[in-house]
Amino acid sequence: MDYPIWDSGLSGGVLMAWVAITHVIVSHFAIGGGLLIVVTETLAIRRADREMRELARRSSLVLILVSTVFGAISGVGIWVVAGLISPGAISALIHAYVWGWAIEWVFFVLEIVAALIYYTTWDRITKQAHVLVGWLYFIGAYLSMVIINGIVTFMLTPGRWLETRAFWDGFFNPTYWPSLVLRTGICVLMAVAFMLWPAFTASPGRRTDLVRYLGWWFLGGALVSYAGYRWWEAVLPDTVTALFLGEAPTLVGLAATRSFALWSLALGLALGVLALLVAPRAARAVTAVALMAAIFAFFGGYERLREGVRKPFLIHSHLFSNGLLVDQIDEINATGLAAHSGWVAAGDPAPEARGRRIFAAQCAACHTLDGYQSITEALPTVADLELVATPSSTGMDRLAYQAECASCHADVAHAEMVEMLPSIEEIRSDPDAIRELNLGMITATVMQLKEMGEEITAFDRSVMFDMRTLERGTMPPFVGSDEEAEALAVYLASLDRTPDAASGDAR
Amino acid sequence: MNTDLIPALDAAGLPGPPWLFHILLVFTFFLHLLFMNLTLGGTLMALVAHLRGGGRADHPDSVLAGRLMAVNTYAISLAITTGVAPLLFVQVLFQQFFYSGTILLGWIWFAMLVLLMLGYYAAYLHKAYRGPWLAVSALSFLAIAMIHVAVHLVHVQPERWATFDANALGVLGDPTYWPRLLHFVLAAITFAALVAAWWAVRRARAGDRVELNRSIARTGWRWALWATVLQVADGFLLLGVLPREVLLGVMRGGLPTLGPLTLSILLAIGLLVMLARATDPVEHPGLVSGTLAALTLTVAVMSVTRHQVRVLYLEPATSLFDPTVVPQWGNFALFAVLLALGLATVFWMVRRVVTSPAEGDEAA
Ligand code: HEC
Ligand code: HEC
Repeated sequence: MDYPIWDSGLSGGVLMAWVAITHVIVSHFAIGGGLLIVVTETLAIRRADREMRELARRSSLVLILVSTVFGAISGVGIWVVAGLISPGAISALIHAYVWGWAIEWVFFVLEIVAALIYYTTWDRITKQAHVLVGWLYFIGAYLSMVIINGIVTFMLTPGRWLETRAFWDGFFNPTYWPSLVLRTGICVLMAVAFMLWPAFTASPGRRTDLVRYLGWWFLGGALVSYAGYRWWEAVLPDTVTALFLGEAPTLVGLAATRSFALWSLALGLALGVLALLVAPRAARAVTAVALMAAIFAFFGGYERLREGVRKPFLIHSHLFSNGLLVDQIDEINATGLAAHSGWVAAGDPAPEARGRRIFAAQCAACHTLDGYQSITEALPTVADLELVATPSSTGMDRLAYQAECASCHADVAHAEMVEMLPSIEEIRSDPDAIRELNLGMITATVMQLKEMGEEITAFDRSVMFDMRTLERGTMPPFVGSDEEAEALAVYLASLDRTPDAASGDAR
Repeated sequence: MNTDLIPALDAAGLPGPPWLFHILLVFTFFLHLLFMNLTLGGTLMALVAHLRGGGRADHPDSVLAGRLMAVNTYAISLAITTGVAPLLFVQVLFQQFFYSGTILLGWIWFAMLVLLMLGYYAAYLHKAYRGPWLAVSALSFLAIAMIHVAVHLVHVQPERWATFDANALGVLGDPTYWPRLLHFVLAAITFAALVAAWWAVRRARAGDRVELNRSIARTGWRWALWATVLQVADGFLLLGVLPREVLLGVMRGGLPTLGPLTLSILLAIGLLVMLARATDPVEHPGLVSGTLAALTLTVAVMSVTRHQVRVLYLEPATSLFDPTVVPQWGNFALFAVLLALGLATVFWMVRRVVTSPAEGDEAA
């Protein structure tokens, strides 16, 4: 939180999601594709089967064009974007796991060199040598996943690492093995979806055969993925699964994501069995597209779920995604954020300007002003208050209350609220008072966020926190002095663009 | 100097002693430079050669352009692959400065990803369709070089961050910007030109289209010569425009800093002498290999000097921080063993491939 802020004009989270989704799709395809292609080539040699060889050869072009460059660049892209939007957080992760990444790099080098050789030596070296290169490619690619899986799963379930801070405790964490199984299955599914295209262009006599061959892979991949997924769910701590499972999941959106992912897999499985195994003759381009869509949906759903339940942490119970360490909360509250960050301290000392810098440092990692997770949407405005206070025969006042206020005032009914609010005539005659009320409310919200920090530091730091016990468990606490909290509130209130009812001009 | 803008050191500490990361950073950066040189220098040179060849397939310049781009099929991927490691280690050692520098450049730094993709796929498109793609590829790589030089100069000058925050493009006005960029571009051209010459000499001596290869070797050799002439001039210019304290730091550093610098200057002059000695490299195969080896050594030594200059730039800032070291020796050892095994596997694989040529039904 002491880094300069990248004012990109769009949500860092959305940008990251795009880069990360591209990367996981391409990289899983690169691994699964490696396996399928080299097994296919091995079988082709054993059976002296030209068509199978052609299938392997044609698939390898896509593999190289896509994986060696798109996969690599998007992988670098994750670091680039993370460094731009949450440098403190990515730095902490890299400092804990440099050697993991360094090892992954070794496998990555093997993978890329083998991929380049594999593709360019068709028709030029002996079959045995070529297959060997193919296997080395797959081994390099798979081992890099074996490593990266340790780091990715660590972020959600750091396990004993929270207590010991030992590399391997974090690496072989509770979700390591299930996740590896799941990802292995997904790699195969991805590869089948892509390899169907070259299979369709095989000679008419063999097309059915090859499609069915891929169908068996698909069936295997789907079953392994499903097993991996259920196992993953089973080893997650109850405090995490309760967010999206059970009668009343805490995060309804994530529960929906889970059903979506599992239904997509089920649908993909059914379609795959029907179109690839039972009636391979009927398989068409549209089948491949549908299978691809189902797999992307399953995989994307799972990734979203995994990221969603980790919120608001980058490393669960240790590091928030805006770069705030749990261990820093007390210290920053005591000294103030400005003492901690020169970028917050420098510049115009007026509260509104300071508030803007505090927002940039602490909140902008997740909230945009008007776009994704817009902060102005989340905050009450004078216009909202006026709407709620204006009696309406069509029920606008109650609707406005539900939409704009209930998220923070769940225990207060509309009628009660109207009692507490000044009447619309009073609001019109004294616009400053209502602005004061709004500012007070925003200040109180920020103070609540600050108090949340105290609740969090009271947690047992050696186990994963139960974020459900917090009122706003999907957010990090506010940290800083009370004065800074007020400056932030002044800035947030200044975002309210409601024109003054009395004078009619925009503030 | 306003040191308040510098973020705190990462609280987790360094998972190994600093010297280890310095070595790894410089070593992997050197590997990256080799392939980066082929990519950047090769594409720029291929563009010029392609234009001069005028689309005649048998023209030596067209053949040269074709060869350079054929090498680039590998070189670009390997430049990216080898670039990942220094990108990792720089984040470990210099996170406070590196992230700040990239953030101050923002979209410009992000654009590197887009340009990489463009440069790579344009190179493929050139092979398939010709047209303007080679120029697109060359300009993309040149732009990437410009971005890297910009990030470097912003990250090493925290005292100027407030100005860069107001105007990131101000970095183009840094007195060292253009000489520094030119230094990398010229090195890249020299390297690619020498590799092309070396290969052509080998082909010619093997009796393969002797006149064609002789002509290509000469072209490469001439490019290398003139690029090196400019490089020596630019190198001294760059040294001259370095901030005073940095230059003084190099001078006062004794053997550790003056050694590599002197060595690389001597190597550069040696290169000039070697390049000027022959006009027909095919007649001097030993000289050609020796020159390429000397150039590679120069790149290695210059990587050290470059790193020392960075450390000197940052000295006033880094001296304010005292990193804690929480070594993970076991994990480092595992990395070192796997690196050795991995490289051995790569060499074994390449050997196996080179020694297993086959044709027709025997081939894969
Ligand atoms: C890690 C990401 C993250 C950060 C950082 C973050 N928020 Fe949030 N915030 C969220 C999410 C997610 C929600 C939506 C919660 C929901 O819809 O249930 C939210 C909701 C809110 C709301 C609406 C609360 C409500 O109950 O309706 C406010 C106000 C808010 N954030 C303010 C802030 C402020 C102020 C900061 C900076 C101090 C901040 N947030 C930092 C993720 C974040
Ligand atoms: C982002 C959360 C949030 C939203 C949205 C919000 N409020 Fe509030 N509001 C608060 C907080 C926090 C307080 C202070 C509560 C306290 O002090 O106990 C408060 C206090 C109030 C009070 C003063 C209550 C009192 O005890 O005097 C009124 C009236 C009120 N809100 C009305 C509204 C109305 C009407 C809306 C919708 C237009 C709204 N609020 C939307 C957070 C919110």
